[in-house]
Amino acid sequence: MTQSPTLSRRSSSSASPQPRKSRRRGADARAGYTFLLPWLLGFIALTVGPMISSLYLSFTNYNLFEAPKWIGLDNYVTLFQDERFLQSVGVTMQYVIFGTPLKLAAALAIAMLLNSKRKGQGFYRSAFYAPSLIGASVSIAIVWKAMFGDSGPVDQGLSFFGINLGGWVGNPNMTMGMMILLTVWQFGAPMVIFLAGLKQIPADLYEAASMDGAGPVRKFMNITWPMLSPVIFFNLLMETIHAFQIFASAYIISNGEGGPAGSTLFYTLYLYLRGFSDFRMGYASAMAWLLVIVVGVITLIFFKTSKSWVHYSGDSK
Amino acid sequence: MIDRRKFLTTVALGTASAAFLSACGQSSTAGQTGSAENPVTINYTWWGNDDRAERTRKAIALFESKNPDIKVNGNFTDFAGYWQKRATEAAGGGLPDVMQWDLSYLRDYGQRNQLLDLGTVKINTDAFDKSLLPSGQIRGKTYGIPTSTNAFAVYYDPAKLQSLGVAEPDGQWTYKEFNEFMLEVGQKGNGALYGGTDYTGVWWMFNIWLRQNNIQAFTDDGKLGFTKDDLKKWWNTTAELRGTPALVPEERVTQLAPKSAMGSNVTASEVTWDNFMAGYLGDSGAKELKLVPVPSDDPDNLGLFLKPSMLMVASAKTKYKDAAARFIDFMVNDPEVGQIFKTSRGVPASKTQRDGTTFEGTDKLVVDYEKSIEKYLKDAPEPPIVGFGTLEASFKRVSSELNYGKLTLDGAADSWFKEAEDLIKQNA
Repeated sequence: MTQSPTLSRRSSSSASPQPRKSRRRGADARAGYTFLLPWLLGFIALTVGPMISSLYLSFTNYNLFEAPKWIGLDNYVTLFQDERFLQSVGVTMQYVIFGTPLKLAAALAIAMLLNSKRKGQGFYRSAFYAPSLIGASVSIAIVWKAMFGDSGPVDQGLSFFGINLGGWVGNPNMTMGMMILLTVWQFGAPMVIFLAGLKQIPADLYEAASMDGAGPVRKFMNITWPMLSPVIFFNLLMETIHAFQIFASAYIISNGEGGPAGSTLFYTLYLYLRGFSDFRMGYASAMAWLLVIVVGVITLIFFKTSKSWVHYSGDSK
Repeated sequence: MIDRRKFLTTVALGTASAAFLSACGQSSTAGQTGSAENPVTINYTWWGNDDRAERTRKAIALFESKNPDIKVNGNFTDFAGYWQKRATEAAGGGLPDVMQWDLSYLRDYGQRNQLLDLGTVKINTDAFDKSLLPSGQIRGKTYGIPTSTNAFAVYYDPAKLQSLGVAEPDGQWTYKEFNEFMLEVGQKGNGALYGGTDYTGVWWMFNIWLRQNNIQAFTDDGKLGFTKDDLKKWWNTTAELRGTPALVPEERVTQLAPKSAMGSNVTASEVTWDNFMAGYLGDSGAKELKLVPVPSDDPDNLGLFLKPSMLMVASAKTKYKDAAARFIDFMVNDPEVGQIFKTSRGVPASKTQRDGTTFEGTDKLVVDYEKSIEKYLKDAPEPPIVGFGTLEASFKRVSSELNYGKLTLDGAADSWFKEAEDLIKQNA
């Protein structure tokens, strides 16, 4: 879509058909593909193959034990009559819609703080990046569960200020907040990318703006934001997709059940339960494919809208 | 600065691979395969707590010393994770050679040819009560050998009752009396101690209540034998107690999981299987716990039965049938194994093992309890329907949502019935 004009522009300008050169190019390509082969084989055997078989299984009643039987669109139709499926969609959407922007805002804010030249910045960068290195691990989910439990540090800390919420882990109204805090806390990966982007913005733009009397808000809105917009776009896209895939932390915190009262029944967790607890692998495959389609459509929408707010160098606007 | 072309390519590739991963990461998790390098190493897996792990380790060491030609590689998890792991392994064709099993899942795996017909290997069942063996059999094939029996009971902590000044129950009580008992404990416990957990969320207690009312849980052709109204009536049994100190709040139960409320010293009583004694004592550190029969509104019909608390099964695909059979035989019959486990698996099912075990203290309580209810016992249940494990889990979940106030009584009953009927249709 968006890429095609750029790509064709490139090929028309750079390809100058000279026979000798193209022969060498053919050899280069062969060497390239040879080096690529190990990855390509793995990709086909471990990713494309299973994906195709899961697409097939999504039209069957496969239960892990018996040969799958074709049932057409039954799984997809049943999905929309399944209350728990709809609940899992609701829970996941809440998480994506609130968790992702908050996480990105935290990442951008910290990146801007770390962008100034002060002593010990290297240390702070590592320190802020650390949580996202260990964040996806099982141990952190367990720590989180203990922190937000009855009489855990969070409960006690809030009680000190007279806010008595009790443990968050057992309260269906608080678990989503807890999960969102967990993801916001893992802002390290987008932060590093933001930081790299911020470093690319020429300092003279800010100097010029200062000369013209622009304040920090103005500078952010008119320089940082547009100059950084490709990076923001990239992070938004990746983090949104990432948020749809939340599984491990929810699994640990709810003992693999999606409780309390279904408040952490994330899409992938329900998919897993359907597949591996209820042995309805066909149903689970249908859920997986629906997720791929939804994520694909959302990505497409992001790309379409990006034209109006993402600015690239060399663009005429 | 960031170049548009490069950037878009990166994004497109990144997005594509992420989307691929989102689809495949979930559905293609391969089962773990056991090591097959050593031809006499068999894999054994069980669920349970640290206490059981320690006892099992001892039993395995004993087996290995008596059978130097077989090595046993042990592995354990908690109950909920256990079945998800087995499903993954079954899909990958890599079930462990020998497994501890639960009645709830016997049909799921047995009927689908995942388990070895133990009638085809040498396991001595002479010392077993003939009425118990059918609970490990499906359509004439023996898929599981019971290690031990358990029965439902009400646990209570006499020391806690005494400190509150509550009289110890004698176990001849109606549901109303049991509820009043829990309320008294809760009121005197003053927030530090609750009466018990909401027993209406436990499938097996519901099953017992159905038996007390002469209703079959499942019909012979694998359909539900009770109505929505029965279920609503059951869940209503504790309706007045919800939100009172009689029952530990659902928030607490959720946070304590996988530990039980009783094991965490939050409640003074609990309705569950009598073989949880060792686990509860270990978890709570209580000096003594006592057992009395479950309540019934019909004093002559307590609806109680002895169930195989667990079974030993072997994978249909095991390469070491002989070694697996010898290990199973050892685990269910050997008197020394009885000495190691005492009643932590339940009361040993094999007479050889039972007679070879000395029961003292709390173990004696469990054995005595099963003796005391002998006159009330009815037939052991057959292996429940395919997918029963799912139904049991969703029974607990729906009743938890009822306790959270997220579902009304009607909504809860509708929700469970819809799921049950859907599941029965699926597996028909």
